Amino acid sequence: MKKLLSVLLALSMLAALPLLSSAEEEKVLNIFSWDGYVDYASVIQPFEQQTGIKVNYAPFSTNDEMFKKLQENGASEYDLVIASDYILNTARLEGLMLPLDKEQLPNFANLDERFISQYFDPDNEYVVPYMSGIPLIVYNPDMVQIEIDGFEDLWDPSLADSIGLIDDARVSIGMVLLSMGQSMNTTDDAVLAQAKEKLFALRENIHVLEYENLHNSLISGDISVAYTFTPYVALALDANPNLQVVWPKEGLGFGIDGAFIPANAPHPDNAHTFLNYLLDGQVAAVTAEWQYYCTPNAAAQEFLSDAYKNNPVFNGIYDRFGDAEYVMNLGADESKFQDIWTEFKLLF
Amino acid sequence: MSGGKGAKMAGGRGTRLFIVPMAMVAVLFVAIPLCYVLVISFMTRGDNSTIQAIFTAENYRRLLDPNYARVFLNSMLLALWTTLLALLLGYPFGYCMARANRRWRALLMLLVIVPFWTNALVRLYGWKILLQANGPVNAVLQALGLIDQPLRMVGSYGSVLLAMVYCLIPFMILPCHSAVDKMDWSCVEAARDLGAKPWYAFLTVTLPLTLPGISAGCVLVFVPSLGLFFVSDLMGGSLMLVGNLIRDQLLKSRDWPFGAALSVLLMAVTVLIFGLYRRSGGKDLGVF
Repeated sequence: MKKLLSVLLALSMLAALPLLSSAEEEKVLNIFSWDGYVDYASVIQPFEQQTGIKVNYAPFSTNDEMFKKLQENGASEYDLVIASDYILNTARLEGLMLPLDKEQLPNFANLDERFISQYFDPDNEYVVPYMSGIPLIVYNPDMVQIEIDGFEDLWDPSLADSIGLIDDARVSIGMVLLSMGQSMNTTDDAVLAQAKEKLFALRENIHVLEYENLHNSLISGDISVAYTFTPYVALALDANPNLQVVWPKEGLGFGIDGAFIPANAPHPDNAHTFLNYLLDGQVAAVTAEWQYYCTPNAAAQEFLSDAYKNNPVFNGIYDRFGDAEYVMNLGADESKFQDIWTEFKLLF
Repeated sequence: MSGGKGAKMAGGRGTRLFIVPMAMVAVLFVAIPLCYVLVISFMTRGDNSTIQAIFTAENYRRLLDPNYARVFLNSMLLALWTTLLALLLGYPFGYCMARANRRWRALLMLLVIVPFWTNALVRLYGWKILLQANGPVNAVLQALGLIDQPLRMVGSYGSVLLAMVYCLIPFMILPCHSAVDKMDWSCVEAARDLGAKPWYAFLTVTLPLTLPGISAGCVLVFVPSLGLFFVSDLMGGSLMLVGNLIRDQLLKSRDWPFGAALSVLLMAVTVLIFGLYRRSGGKDLGVF
């Protein structure tokens, strides 16, 4: 077993070699993001053909992993990083970002102004918004007796053992906080104690907690209500158009994933070329339809398919910007949420 | 799994050199990471998954929180049920396999081994599809008129248990099979000749003689059960197990020192189980 492990390690090191050596070449771009978050066939390959720039894609599994790696290599290994709002803010404050050269980004003007100047980059110096998402409620009206229009309805006794919730402390306790008219980012112990009590009262109605692919349980009929992330809501709706999407009246969780160039990127010009390419309306439309998120790109609208444009999941945000709240990085106070979640999951 | 015996037989000076790379791998990839985990478990958390080199025992004090004890208990309970069910199903299977003729034995062995050729994730997704509300199992039950409404099996404790047993049962079957296979059957014949009924002979002769296989199988199932939290997550079990807790501390709370302290505790429990096993006369599993 140990031998096998060492052989595997040696092999994985060999596999990484071409990546290292090609970084010294000229027409190269090293992207660092979640696996598959920029599609190869529809986005990267056409870019390579147009520009002759070879794209290397290194995946990370969590925002924090990305952040640590950037800190360790002095932000010098990768040319472009795509990650989530809260870590973008941290990376900016830590000085890990290279200021964007707007001259090289004429397509920056394509962005919908409601998605720019966000807290993670108030002056639009470093970040190009890539995708945006909002967790929503989606339910099957054939299996549900009540009409759901907000979070509060999830506590209805008729929904016993029929809800699927996101297995994430910040998102799901955040939902409870929103239902109480509180901020998702509160660290007030008294408010959190109330939220905990209210969360525990929801136990009877919950059938499953799942971070990913909750739409499958909704489609199969194992649950009749789901509170889940944007792409899963959209996928559920595709599979069953009778499902109802709810934009909760109490407020919304909101997130933006954005791209930035690390401070010491080896190929910053290539990175600008790629960013400008991503910001092109047509490319942004292809990306949005592939990733199944909301696009922050206004110029993409004319290239989006009707199916995408008419989907309430993707266009509802335009009426609700004022009600949307980011999940922020709370540092050591994250544990307050985790401890509540741990205790809650012990009820299962 | 029988690495211990081989190492003992290789006594020459020349052959000892061959151990060097192995030892290096062990130090580099096992001992050093373990020491690292142990060291950071005594440090203080920083922001964004960073670690501050300030000594503290706070992480271990936090382990005394009854909720974390309940998480460990939860994992133990699931592991216990898994082991029990694996034993009840795996022992008879191993027994029959050992008693079968060569052709059947090869076929049964193949049935045990073949699932390993497919990724466990894929096989568990298969179970999920079988068990879901509009899946084949519910369809059959409804067609037979046994139920009106589809059963919501996915996400239940039973579905998690089923998946756990399914994943780990080969580790019970193989040691039981080899114990039955190597057993001296003349002892059973002697018992039968002296008038023991088959059941009595089994209980008083076969079972004690195959006990080493049973206990090896139990350890091999129980210990991995403690760590296989992804099975519960995949089956929608929503359970809070030690593995979930450690993962959440690392990735969600971004508290690496506390995650490390939990890992140290889990390893200590594992070592304790192996220790008890070896002390009670269990044979070398190639783990220690």
